[in-house]
Amino acid sequence: MNSSKIIGAIEIGTSKVVVLVGESAAHGKLRIIGKGECASAGVAKGEITDFKLASECVHRAIVEAEQMANAKIEHVFIAQTGKHLESFYNQSTVTVMSSDNIVRRTDVERAEKDAKSKELPQNRLYIHHIRNPFLLDDRVVLGPVGMGGKKLQVGYWCVTGDKNKIRDHVGIIGGFGMRVDDMIISSLASGVMVASADEKKSGVIVLDIGSGTTDYAVYRDGFVVYCGVVPVGGDHLTNDLSLGLRINRKNAESLKVELDKAFIDKSEAENRIWMIGDKGIGERNIPVQSIVKIINARMEELFNIVLKQVNVHVPVRELSAGAILTGGSSRLYGIEQSAADVFGIEVRRGQHPEWISKDIEGPEYSTALGLFHYALTAQESNSERDDGAQKQKSAGFIKKILNFKL
Amino acid sequence: MENENFSQPNTYFASDIAGEDVRVKIIGVGGAGTNAVDRFHFDVIPGVRLAAINTDAQALASSLLEEKVMIGRGVTRGLSTGGEADLGRKAALSDRDKITHVIGSANLVFLVAGLGGGTGSGALPVIAEIAAERGAQVIAFVALPFTMEGNRRRQQADDALRELRQVCDAVIPIPNDVLLQDVADNATVLDAFAKVDSWISQGIRSICTMLFNTGMINIDFSTLKQAFISRGGKTLFGLGKGTGEDYAKNALKDLFMCPLLHLPESATCADRLLVNIIGGTDLSLAQVNEIMEMITEKFNSSDSTVIGAVVDERLNQTLEICVIGTTDIGGHKRAVRPNPPSVKPRIEVVGEEFGSNTGEPEKQTEVAKPQEWIPGLEKAGEKGAKPPSSVSVHASKLAHASKTGGIPQNEFSFVQKEEQRGFFDKTERNLFEGQDLDVPTYLRRGIKITL
Ligand SMILES: Nc1nc2c(ncn2[C@@H]2O[C@H](COP(=O)(O)OP(=O)(O)OP(=O)(O)O)[C@@H](O)[C@H]2O)c(=O)[nH]1
Ligand SMILES: [Mg+2]
Repeated sequence: MNSSKIIGAIEIGTSKVVVLVGESAAHGKLRIIGKGECASAGVAKGEITDFKLASECVHRAIVEAEQMANAKIEHVFIAQTGKHLESFYNQSTVTVMSSDNIVRRTDVERAEKDAKSKELPQNRLYIHHIRNPFLLDDRVVLGPVGMGGKKLQVGYWCVTGDKNKIRDHVGIIGGFGMRVDDMIISSLASGVMVASADEKKSGVIVLDIGSGTTDYAVYRDGFVVYCGVVPVGGDHLTNDLSLGLRINRKNAESLKVELDKAFIDKSEAENRIWMIGDKGIGERNIPVQSIVKIINARMEELFNIVLKQVNVHVPVRELSAGAILTGGSSRLYGIEQSAADVFGIEVRRGQHPEWISKDIEGPEYSTALGLFHYALTAQESNSERDDGAQKQKSAGFIKKILNFKL
Repeated sequence: MENENFSQPNTYFASDIAGEDVRVKIIGVGGAGTNAVDRFHFDVIPGVRLAAINTDAQALASSLLEEKVMIGRGVTRGLSTGGEADLGRKAALSDRDKITHVIGSANLVFLVAGLGGGTGSGALPVIAEIAAERGAQVIAFVALPFTMEGNRRRQQADDALRELRQVCDAVIPIPNDVLLQDVADNATVLDAFAKVDSWISQGIRSICTMLFNTGMINIDFSTLKQAFISRGGKTLFGLGKGTGEDYAKNALKDLFMCPLLHLPESATCADRLLVNIIGGTDLSLAQVNEIMEMITEKFNSSDSTVIGAVVDERLNQTLEICVIGTTDIGGHKRAVRPNPPSVKPRIEVVGEEFGSNTGEPEKQTEVAKPQEWIPGLEKAGEKGAKPPSSVSVHASKLAHASKTGGIPQNEFSFVQKEEQRGFFDKTERNLFEGQDLDVPTYLRRGIKITL
């Protein structure tokens, strides 16, 4: 691929729609040339609840981004989240065919095809097949072709989603006469932005805590070994604060955001109060201790759910590179401590590479930025993705989507 | 926006109307329901009768109520259902005659129960259905089990709630979890239950006092019915009390801070709102107006607020407020909404219909055609629901309403509807290990938040 392409990375999030426009040049380089953003409507917990409202927001963001970029988006990569996402591990075993017991390309293809073709229920669709290492006679090998052995095994983390929910996302883009090249689940998109190759090798969990969902991906030995979605995010915190402190949603939201900036010394929290202007009631004092209690309860529960889900597959304590938090709600004050208390591993906030410009360096842009990574790796024909996250061969996924009648 | 109501304050006061006779029956069902009604001491209001229905003979025996009815002798042999809603339902079905007899000729039935147990969850929907079939207005106040009571009870309560919403005119759920927020640290479980009981009692009492012409501003039965025209929607229920020099202001503050109004189950705005005020001899009509203004603004119900006010001769510098609101969120109206949608059936209009004494018979327009009741369209469990009634509005009013409530109101309502809906109303329940993650963690865990 020589000519430059205009790529759109679109995240239809619970709180905001982000559209980034990138211009890809030769050698897998990309320049971000436009950004559009619009507060979401018609999206809850990562899922589209009102197609028309959500469409309008996406449209506004696309127009804004294209204007800034002064270019038309040609290829669209979108993020997907929501409770409907599920994943399972599917492994296949094949016997090496040749008499000399040397693994050929065809053996690998057979094994791969086998492991990826588990039939899904009617209403489900594959989004990702994430390859895990090959096992050749029970030894872990990275590239088995040319090696000697009898039994070749390969496994995939398969991520599937609800057809209708996926169709909602793709349909919105299609509504503007654009074609979706590929769909990436949010956790993986964010994961590539904040975790280094070394960290993925040692074992790390990346949590993208957004407004409506928390998307996480677990890496070990450089591979994605598990990922999931908990439909709890910053909106829940706002709602908790609003109900618990009996303040309206707007006040709860601004309180949450102001807290991030404020410094609350634990020893001091006991005595501090927070003033809130409430129409109808007037100024009210709220003990900071109550705010802290509400937030801690929610965060501790969220991290415990993640811990419980991940521990089934990978003991979290064994992730020696710790946990990385990103997503808009990772800005919350004291969140690393909450996570560390639950996970029992080191926790840090994610950082984007330095070349990312100021207006999109925040943690809430991880997912959209990460989409570009997938856009770029998709360009490199025949090359495997560095983290093993590989799409179904051919345009099968996209074809299926395009065949949907809207 | 101009508040139409307050330029014509008399329109929502439907006093001195010779309406239909109201015969009220308050029925406690199951252990919790019976306990609650036992503690009401309502006998003082003429026209209100109390009764208890339970499977558990022993529990019934200890009740002080006069009318006690045991159901399901053949099912549970006079014992409790042991928490089995199925048994509770069977018990009720096996004694339909007894239940019909308890309801008698009552046309306003309040049902009270704790959901989660077998009798409350199983029998209550059957009883509600029987009452509705007999043409009564049915309003249920139900306590929802503590989260710590576990998955099974929550599930049973959920199922019962869903069924109730289809047959009752209004269902007001009170999650027991909220008790942990509201009682003192050293309170016992009994203290906590007594609290719910008193909340429910105040709610029912408010409605009754408004109806029985005992107050300064009364409402008639048909006005009350209009307030519950939409069945099965989210409701709101709140209480407030104020004393001292600034008693009105304090009562409003207390009301707006009422824990019952700050629950995931509670609506934050009302499509139709009943407000009852109990004040002392110093309560003036001007004050009532002021209070109403604050309340209608708070609950965004300026189109359809009904007020009742009672003066208690013994009181001075004291004010109690009770609000009960219904919404169209998640509910299904029995009457078709007039077209265009910006013209809402207005309670105050209907009140005027009875109250206006211009002598001149005004022309009425049937804005909502009584919808044909097609049995085939009923969902399972909806059987026995009453046929839809119609809403009548004055022709003159209609023209007026469509003028004032034009486009701007539509634009306006968008934002408010969003806020009203709560964060997660349109989404599926967010269950993880039997708990609804959309409900605040502190509330489910009983972490007390001091304010
Ligand atoms: N408000 C209130 N709630 C109660 C009381 N006692 C129990 N509860 C709650 O109500 C729910 C139902 O309990 P019961 O009323 O004892 O159950 P029941 O309807 O008699 O059903 P079975 O005894 O199982 O046949 C429980 O899960 C508690 O959450 C009470 O005195 N007052
Ligand atoms: Mg009982």
